Amino acid sequence: MPMRMFSASLLAFACCVTGTVHAEPVKIALIESLSGGQAVTGKLFQSAVKYGLAKVEAEKAWPDGIKLLEYDNQGGPSEAADKLKAAVNDGAQIIIQGASSAIGGQITADVQKHNARNPGKEIMWINVGAEAMEFTGPKCHFYHFRWNGNAEIRLKAMLIAMKDANALGNKVYIIGQNYSWGHDVQKLTRDYAKDYGYTIVGDVIHDVNRIQDFAPYVAKIKEAGPDTVVTGNWSNDLLLLMKAAGDSGLKARFAAYWIDQPGNIANAGDTAVGHYTQSTFFPDANGDKTAAFAEDFKAKTGQYPLNVQGHVVHAMWGLGEALKALHAKPGDKLSVKALAFAMEKVTVDSSMGPIKMRPEDHQALVPLAIAVVSKDAKFKADDTDKGFKTIKLLTGEQASGPVQSSCKMDRPKS
Amino acid sequence: MIGARTIALLLVALGLLIVLPLLLSPNLLNAAIKMMIAALFALAFTLAMGQAGMLSFGHAAYYGLGAFAALHLMRAVEQKLFGFPTPLIPLAGALAGFVFGLAFGWFATQRTGVYFSMVTLALAELLFTLAPTWNSLFGGESGIATMRGPSWGMTFGSDEEVYYLTLGWFVLSAWCMWAFTRTPVGRLALALRDNEHRVRFLGFNTHVARTLIFAISCLFTGVAGALLAIANEAANYTIFSAQASANVVLQTFIGGAGTFFGPALGAAIMTFFARITSDLTRSWLLYQGLIFVLVMLFAPQGLGGLVDLHARRVRANGWKHLVAPYLLCLVVGVLLVAGLVFVVESIHVVLTDAYLAKRTAAKGEWVPYELFGRSFEPFSPLTWGIPIVLLALGGVLLPIARRITARAWLAATREEPGETHAPPVATDAAPADAAAAGQGARP
Amino acid sequence: MEYIVVSLLNGVVHGLLLFMVSAGLTLIFGMMGVLNFAHAWFYMLGAYVGFTLTRLGGFWLGLAFAPIVAGLAGVLVERYMLRRVHKFGHAHELLLTFGLAFIIEEVIKLFYGDALVSYQMPNYMRFAAFTIFETNYPFYRLFMGAVALAMFAVLYLLLTRTRVGIVVRAATYRPTTVEALGHNLPVVYMAVFAGGSALAGLAGAVAGAFYPTGPNMAVDFGTLVFVVVVIGGLGSVVGALIASLMIGLFISFSVGLNVSIADLFGLVGLGPWANDLGGLFTLQLSTIANSMPFLLMLLVLLIRPAGLMGDRQ
Repeated sequence: MPMRMFSASLLAFACCVTGTVHAEPVKIALIESLSGGQAVTGKLFQSAVKYGLAKVEAEKAWPDGIKLLEYDNQGGPSEAADKLKAAVNDGAQIIIQGASSAIGGQITADVQKHNARNPGKEIMWINVGAEAMEFTGPKCHFYHFRWNGNAEIRLKAMLIAMKDANALGNKVYIIGQNYSWGHDVQKLTRDYAKDYGYTIVGDVIHDVNRIQDFAPYVAKIKEAGPDTVVTGNWSNDLLLLMKAAGDSGLKARFAAYWIDQPGNIANAGDTAVGHYTQSTFFPDANGDKTAAFAEDFKAKTGQYPLNVQGHVVHAMWGLGEALKALHAKPGDKLSVKALAFAMEKVTVDSSMGPIKMRPEDHQALVPLAIAVVSKDAKFKADDTDKGFKTIKLLTGEQASGPVQSSCKMDRPKS
Repeated sequence: MIGARTIALLLVALGLLIVLPLLLSPNLLNAAIKMMIAALFALAFTLAMGQAGMLSFGHAAYYGLGAFAALHLMRAVEQKLFGFPTPLIPLAGALAGFVFGLAFGWFATQRTGVYFSMVTLALAELLFTLAPTWNSLFGGESGIATMRGPSWGMTFGSDEEVYYLTLGWFVLSAWCMWAFTRTPVGRLALALRDNEHRVRFLGFNTHVARTLIFAISCLFTGVAGALLAIANEAANYTIFSAQASANVVLQTFIGGAGTFFGPALGAAIMTFFARITSDLTRSWLLYQGLIFVLVMLFAPQGLGGLVDLHARRVRANGWKHLVAPYLLCLVVGVLLVAGLVFVVESIHVVLTDAYLAKRTAAKGEWVPYELFGRSFEPFSPLTWGIPIVLLALGGVLLPIARRITARAWLAATREEPGETHAPPVATDAAPADAAAAGQGARP
Repeated sequence: MEYIVVSLLNGVVHGLLLFMVSAGLTLIFGMMGVLNFAHAWFYMLGAYVGFTLTRLGGFWLGLAFAPIVAGLAGVLVERYMLRRVHKFGHAHELLLTFGLAFIIEEVIKLFYGDALVSYQMPNYMRFAAFTIFETNYPFYRLFMGAVALAMFAVLYLLLTRTRVGIVVRAATYRPTTVEALGHNLPVVYMAVFAGGSALAGLAGAVAGAFYPTGPNMAVDFGTLVFVVVVIGGLGSVVGALIASLMIGLFISFSVGLNVSIADLFGLVGLGPWANDLGGLFTLQLSTIANSMPFLLMLLVLLIRPAGLMGDRQ
């Protein structure tokens, strides 16, 4: 204590002598999986955040500027908790994270605890990738904002588009991973059966990322004879499933959440053609607007926006809009509470269409583009001859799902 | 027996640990808490491993079970089902660790050597795969989260209070484990490691003995897990991963399984290393792997073993012989590390997409890249010269440093003129306490 | 009927793939007692070598050089690293190989990036070998199975019918006697280690063209390989084959079985009660099919630790 007091008083003295304290920029912490197994996804988030914040900085959304601090959560919730504490100690007031719902769960709980223990010094979590329903459900809280999609709206988008294109059929098979995400997708697909006129002919849940050989599962699916296979699988679980399905000649179409992860098209090859997916951004989704955005992104980062990167950029721009709405002057200190109130009313004018934040559960109404993997897509993926051809673009409102009744948000007084 | 000098050292260390929160920044304080927990985990692991020769590959199972037990207890307190003082929460971890250690240990200790290790691995892996499906106990993917409750006049809202709680349990557990080694059962553990047949012929039921010792090791592991749960206020099933089990084994051996505090030292250092470097470079796992390999090759008795070797063998007035050679070794080390880091980080930067974008924008020209805040031309003499000079210089000085250090070690440890001892650096004759795992494993 | 035939086919091929990866390890483990944790990483090394050379000179060039590179790496590792730590015991050897695994993975990530690379089989191999029950069976799977069987045949014949093989097998049981008889034991060890690693490299080059090749491919196989080796018996190539086939078939068949412990209780009329308990009881076999090998390993270790074909101590 003596040492700290001494240096603090020295600083105070110096400040008094020199006149004014130099104002600090707003510190934003990105806590992502930058090493280990999830690194490929974490780095996507990282480059998109940097791109998005460059515009926010250029527009002087906050007069004293913004500073991005990066932390590697090493892919684990315990390390993420450590890095969150480190970020807060380094002065960060806004946390960005997205690569995993498990880590998101840790961060959202820690943010809530911090805010409860430090009133007046709140921090907020900008969720750019944790898609589990619970974050805008039982775990919703005032200082969390979800700028990405969730299990429900992505499924709904695919069902709407496939039904319109007469690709859905009447028989649906569900295959998923055995954890909360897979269960979410399974339940939602069952719930929507009536509305979209299909029956569930079978479903199977399997271990996460352990299976090398999906041929037995494909055999099961074949037995049931579905028109469409719905799956929330990602990474190897999706890739191997698609390959096994293609190799064995399974005729059903896939409605998969995450075909647009980098590497899938290259590795799946032609077996991916004809499958359906959706995303918060495809370069051909909205004509020239999205194409222009894609080209600019490529010029600065080296590749077209992939997978999650579109909505991450939109989230950063949403943050920029919220900061602007505070009309701060140089030397002001950021009040995260005011920022949160501002963010609730933000609308981002993106190339995919306007994105509005919904104040009831802090879920952004994200426009979704549904695409089919095709050889005559305008923008090719993974340096192959195939790409994603958008067949439908839904506005934020059209794609949205209802506010979950399990979300009971405690709102502070403004 | 423990000497006066050791007691004095321990008291000084304890004093330092007590005043640490006043000296450290909040970040470092949090790091210190995690380092102590890792150190406790390693100490508990070594109880089974270094003492009794039972190399467990699945110790994270008991760590995690201790954590979840503590979390459930904290949750019960939070929901006001009954009151329980927060500082005593680790007892739940101890109980869970002991009970499961007994249950799993009963099966595992039926085998020895490598088979024992495989059984512990299998048990931990089964737990790891089944845990995410059992939502009520393990909370599924996002795990269980709770909040520390106030007790005994403290709110436990700040890190300082958590630090003192952790410190208290660490000191208590470490003392208990040390005291255990002095008890007959503790001595029995050492005997089991050295020659199990003989112990059996002495009339002891070795299976029961090994189960008991394993369970006690798991007891303290559970305490460590509970402390983690208190510090993080949450845990999920990834705490059971094979990675976590492997980490504690590595930390123990880097610290040196042959000494009492070696594992704690290894755990603290590696935890700190991971935390610091993971934010500085994306290739930190490469450096960590290199450290593992280099320590195994050149300091197989671990860092703690090295310290112990010096403490035991170097004469009181022998230290002056070692100062200069060690400084030289340090210089050589810095040169080699700097050269390696430069090469690795440069390759990393040059192969990223962002750099590729810059090159595309410059029509394929090899534009300068940023590293350590400076700009480097990819093919300039400076860029190639720096690592070459560093590595060459380090490489040339290395054998010289080895020779000088070997001679200095002889001088420093000589008890009588003419009598020689083996040098510590890159030696083959270091004590092989950790060879215990080899019992019964060779086909 | 269809389910049985298709599961059989799938299981056998999957098992043969496992055998390809673990054949080398059982030799190394059985003979030298070295728990080579990095074995699956030699597999990954082979896959990446195959990928690189396929782009440069064709698929078969990759297949030819992958085992050579992996074998060379094995020689270096054995000669300069494992030999030094051998005297300190198995824990040290294991930890050394553990650190090695990290290094191999990170160096590969440094040069090839974190994402999957597109290592594909040549197009002329991309067709269905036959159609059974309206399901196409890819030719490449049969190719992998054939390579695995060839590997087994070569190893078996080498070990049982040649002088080199006899020396190697003798060194497993009586190393000092073999040395006393004049054989160069360190060279034998090095050859076995290199050979085992080369096999892993070949497996990587072959399998990597079919399965995703990326930085996580070794982690996925890592622990399963140990399970195969333990169940099969350390040092027994035949045991490794049987264990791999067993595991492959078991996984393949249990995927189709939606039974749970509650269902078993249902046989004695306690179904609803067991279902209410939830958790472990309602867990279906198909869901945890891929975790079952560990249960198998546990059972084998407790009942017959030498493994199926290993020798009792």
